[in-house]
Amino acid sequence: MAERKNKDEIAKLTFEQAIGQLREIVTRIEQGQIALQDSLDQYEKGMALIKHCRDILQKAEKRIEKISKEEPTEPPEEEDPEPLLRG
Amino acid sequence: MQSQTQTKTKVYTVAQVNSLVRDVLAANLPSWLTITGEITDWKAHQSGHCYFSLKDEESVLPCAMWRTSFAKVKFKPANGLAVLVTGSIDLYVPQGRYKLIVDEMIPAGMGALQLAFEQMVRKLEAEGLFDESHKKPLPRYPQRIGILTSESGAALHDIADSVHNRWPCTRLALYPVPVQGPGAAEAIAAAIADVNRRNDRLKLDVLIVGRGGGSLEDLWAFNEEVLARAIFASRIPIISAVGHEVDVTVADLVADARVSTPTKAGVVAVPDRGDVLTDLMNQQRRLTGSVRSRFGLCNEYLQTVLASAVFRNPLLPIQNREQCVDDLCGDLGDAMRQVFFQAHKQVQDSYEQVARLEPHRLLGRMMVELNELKGRSLAAVTQALNRRDLQITAQENRLAGLNPRSVLRRGYSITQNLRTGQVVRTAGDVQIDDPIVTELADEHRIESRVTGIDKG
Repeated sequence: MAERKNKDEIAKLTFEQAIGQLREIVTRIEQGQIALQDSLDQYEKGMALIKHCRDILQKAEKRIEKISKEEPTEPPEEEDPEPLLRG
Repeated sequence: MQSQTQTKTKVYTVAQVNSLVRDVLAANLPSWLTITGEITDWKAHQSGHCYFSLKDEESVLPCAMWRTSFAKVKFKPANGLAVLVTGSIDLYVPQGRYKLIVDEMIPAGMGALQLAFEQMVRKLEAEGLFDESHKKPLPRYPQRIGILTSESGAALHDIADSVHNRWPCTRLALYPVPVQGPGAAEAIAAAIADVNRRNDRLKLDVLIVGRGGGSLEDLWAFNEEVLARAIFASRIPIISAVGHEVDVTVADLVADARVSTPTKAGVVAVPDRGDVLTDLMNQQRRLTGSVRSRFGLCNEYLQTVLASAVFRNPLLPIQNREQCVDDLCGDLGDAMRQVFFQAHKQVQDSYEQVARLEPHRLLGRMMVELNELKGRSLAAVTQALNRRDLQITAQENRLAGLNPRSVLRRGYSITQNLRTGQVVRTAGDVQIDDPIVTELADEHRIESRVTGIDKG
């Protein structure tokens, strides 16, 4: 359950947030700042973060949206903030 | 020597010399000189006069431009500005320095645009628009990049390719703007303001503003003040990507970062995916390695602990304590025995002490002594009684001899006057007719009456 929640949280992270957390985890574990049991959890989280970062990097959309100059009447969706003219 | 000098040369005052030089200069130089040079040490005095120097690679010429002449200059002279000046040389007698008194000044070697550019740069620089302290940091891993350029220009694809080749995992959003011609600067400025205003929805991490190379006239929009101010006001970091070979644009100077051509935009805007993947791999290696070594260390420690005596013979502590209890039990028994032995010994000692006193003999001796004392005291009492008896008898005898009645037995009597109750000792003790009584030895009494008294 907690693991599932963790995964959902990681999926929401931006690349910058994910790699930032990853670096923190690596540093903490390397410096021995956390208990053994926690280091296992953190290791799993770190691996999930690495996977998330790789997933982001693999997504190569190579497309250019176009920002329209007019204010949209409806607020755009999260994923596609503005209507596209060409992909 | 002194006299020689005096005879050889006339003595001038300093002022005379300076005036002389002034006259020589005026007589020998053309009255108007046109000079090309770069302005340096520009000082506009409060009086309105301007003082500066003209310099080239080899030399410096001090200049002054009086207020009336300076009022005719349309542009704003400044240090570093190459100018063509016309004027005449004059020597300022009080200081013995000569100056070019400038009458006219025009920009040299550049058009009006170049001059305007230079002046815009100076103006905005003075306002601090180019200060490093105002530069916003670029995001390391931008997710959404806004591109402000012409939709039809090659710059758009140059920028897009340069970004995507390094970092394909970002989304590009084009805001089409004119990049040339009248109104272009205003349009770009408005676009920047618009994007900033809507960025809570657009979610752009960074903006790239640019176009391909061209002449100074072509690029002019990027030197205009309205665009510079819009770039400065943007909350979203802006990368200026205007193609140019030598000079920069005002937009370059005010932007948070700049590249000399749109094809290089990606280098500044985004990290290289290969580098990041390598970094990720390193992070993974470090993570795995450190967790593994951590577990290795912990396991080693565990083995050390398991090898300790406690784990080899878990009953050892109990056994140790049992032994301890046994030892204590023994000690307790010993101690109790000792206590009993001492007590017994004390009783025995006391008994022997008592036995040594021989009470029955003591009692016997006491009885003998008591009997003896009893006898002695009885004898003493008897003796004392006897003595008292003898004493009493003697006293009795003496007392008996003193009894008047014993006198009577020898024939005497006692006469008593009944009237007075007195024993009659003399004739005066009685009167005629006094009843008298005479007591005899046999204790009988003879009563009589005095009938006469013979007084001899």
